[in-house]
Amino acid sequence: MTPLSLLLTLSSLLFTLGLFAVLTRRNAILILVGIELMLNAANINFIAFWRYGPPDPELTGPMFVLFSIAIAAAEAAVGLAIILMVFRHTRSTDLNKLDSLHG
Amino acid sequence: MSLLATTPFLPMKLEFLPRLPQMLVEVIFHRLGAPEWLVSIAGFIVAASTVVGVFMGGFALLSLVERKTLARIQNRIGPNRAGWFGILQPVADGIKMLTKEDIVPAKAEWLLHLAAPILIVIPSILALGVIPYGREWTPVPLELGLLFFFSVGALTELSVFMAGWASGSKFPMLGAMRAISQMVSYELPLIISALGVVMVSGTLSLPVIVDKQAGFHLGFIPAWNLFTPWGLVAGLVFYIAAIAEANRCPFDLPEGESEIVAGHMTEYSGFKYALFFMGEYLGLFAISGLGITLFLGGWQAPLPGLGFVPSWIWFFAKLAVVIMSFLWIRGTFPRVRIDQLMRFAWLCLIPMALLTLPAAAIWHFAGRGLLGWVTTVPLLLIPWVIITVIYNRRLSPSTRIYRFADS
Amino acid sequence: MIPLLILSPLILLAALGAVWKARPVHAALLLALALALNAVLYLVIGADFIGLVQFMVYVGAVAVLIVFSLLITRPGDEAEEISRRPRSLLPGLVCTVPVLAVLICSISRVTTPSAGEAPAFSVEQLGKALFTTHAPAVVTVGVLLTAVMIGAALFARDPGKKPQTPSDP
Repeated sequence: MTPLSLLLTLSSLLFTLGLFAVLTRRNAILILVGIELMLNAANINFIAFWRYGPPDPELTGPMFVLFSIAIAAAEAAVGLAIILMVFRHTRSTDLNKLDSLHG
Repeated sequence: MSLLATTPFLPMKLEFLPRLPQMLVEVIFHRLGAPEWLVSIAGFIVAASTVVGVFMGGFALLSLVERKTLARIQNRIGPNRAGWFGILQPVADGIKMLTKEDIVPAKAEWLLHLAAPILIVIPSILALGVIPYGREWTPVPLELGLLFFFSVGALTELSVFMAGWASGSKFPMLGAMRAISQMVSYELPLIISALGVVMVSGTLSLPVIVDKQAGFHLGFIPAWNLFTPWGLVAGLVFYIAAIAEANRCPFDLPEGESEIVAGHMTEYSGFKYALFFMGEYLGLFAISGLGITLFLGGWQAPLPGLGFVPSWIWFFAKLAVVIMSFLWIRGTFPRVRIDQLMRFAWLCLIPMALLTLPAAAIWHFAGRGLLGWVTTVPLLLIPWVIITVIYNRRLSPSTRIYRFADS
Repeated sequence: MIPLLILSPLILLAALGAVWKARPVHAALLLALALALNAVLYLVIGADFIGLVQFMVYVGAVAVLIVFSLLITRPGDEAEEISRRPRSLLPGLVCTVPVLAVLICSISRVTTPSAGEAPAFSVEQLGKALFTTHAPAVVTVGVLLTAVMIGAALFARDPGKKPQTPSDP
């Protein structure tokens, strides 16, 4: 098993774990945890290919990861602000309770 | 070793004093015929132990000096019973802390409760490793030294949360919330004010930043970053943000005794409490050391003729001056409220820190001389005056009207 | 290779804990641990700049943000206990297992020549590339982050007093 395939396997498992968290968790904040795991897994992919793939003088891997980290932080901030706003109205972060638009 | 032998003058030989343990160990290992990697590991362990040992001694000394200084400011004497002038007080404090019963509340999570003090001390010690203490004497000269410093500082916030939450009671939780919001708010001015230095020096490596502050203007003014227009503002912003990051008075709301007992440290006793204090003081040393490196020229001498004094003496002298100023401020300023704290960070410090970035750029491209001063001083002064005027008009307390019971 | 073999199971265990544990604060702290171990992984590979940035931003900002909002909202553990029923977990498993299968199959087809040393880059190179080739992206991200900051501050603001209705006795 080459280091590259090890890292790619790690990143796919992390991505799947994050996806599982997004699909099964009830607390809105823990869903955000899953989203962060997914973004992190994608970052591992970029770094793995930059390190173990063909040489790239343009530093595409680290560049992409830098922007991805910045955007992940921004999205976590907005997501949590929205969750806090919803919490103020409904006093709960349980997503199954937010069904007032249900038919 | 040969450098030590060829330096002629005794004070200049003292320059190598901090490196003596490491050099001795390396010579001994070489004589014993050890492989190269073992020699370097042993040398590194000795260098790290020297740094940690020196700063632990400094921590003990500082705890005594702080109590004496605060006492004199408050018109009393301070500890003077344990030994001559209280010099054995840190020993007495250590014995007390070590022999106290370690109480963990029943509702607390013991693993996080144990891990939190350890995780508060670790970033402080790690951060002490990248600061240049003397000419070519940095324990770990990383190319990304400044980034490393701020990254390990980020671990402190999470540890404070763990300390507060794992204690399982209300005061620590409140203290942890206040501490995290304070630390996060003041980390921004800290990092932004350091960015100006990075821009002008062109590197993230702390030894190189010190090297770029060598030389003297007009023959006697050192070319430190503090004596530039943007550097003055950035240095002051860094200083204030450092006091807030270290949770010291006037920003010690998270651990104010008269407010919330001891904040996130309420449910800790014995050695864990001592670890919290150690983390706080070592963090203070680390951030003062960083401020000295970035703005006060690190180990550079302040006057041209004084280059013969060993460089580490200058560093520790500057460190002593900065720490004494922290103690002075602690003794004389009242504590700020949480909303005053937040407002000060977001409405005053962050705009001023952001303004130092274009100021540094303009100063650099205007030739770093008189034209640089002339163009950047209005850029920095006018917004500061505006901010001060807004503060004084809107936020200062109005004249009080007293109503007495007999009227 | 050996550090990778040690770190990868640890990261997976921490992520598993973050995804599975019922108590929200434990899950958030395990996420912080997984991200921190990930930063160590980057440092071991040779991407030190990215590793330190990952530590500073993910562990120092995102994880702190998540635990802080958990402090404010104080969720109980009951909701997560209910979500352990197999009926609730089935849709999740049905969606994630095929994704995992597809990813693993595509990994087995990846063949690249084995690389030797880590392609090192200096911070000057990174800075030059960021501000010359990728300058539009940097400016866009800057605008985006400013908008996010202002938006989040507006969202999370105290709504203030509601206007009094005039028909109160």
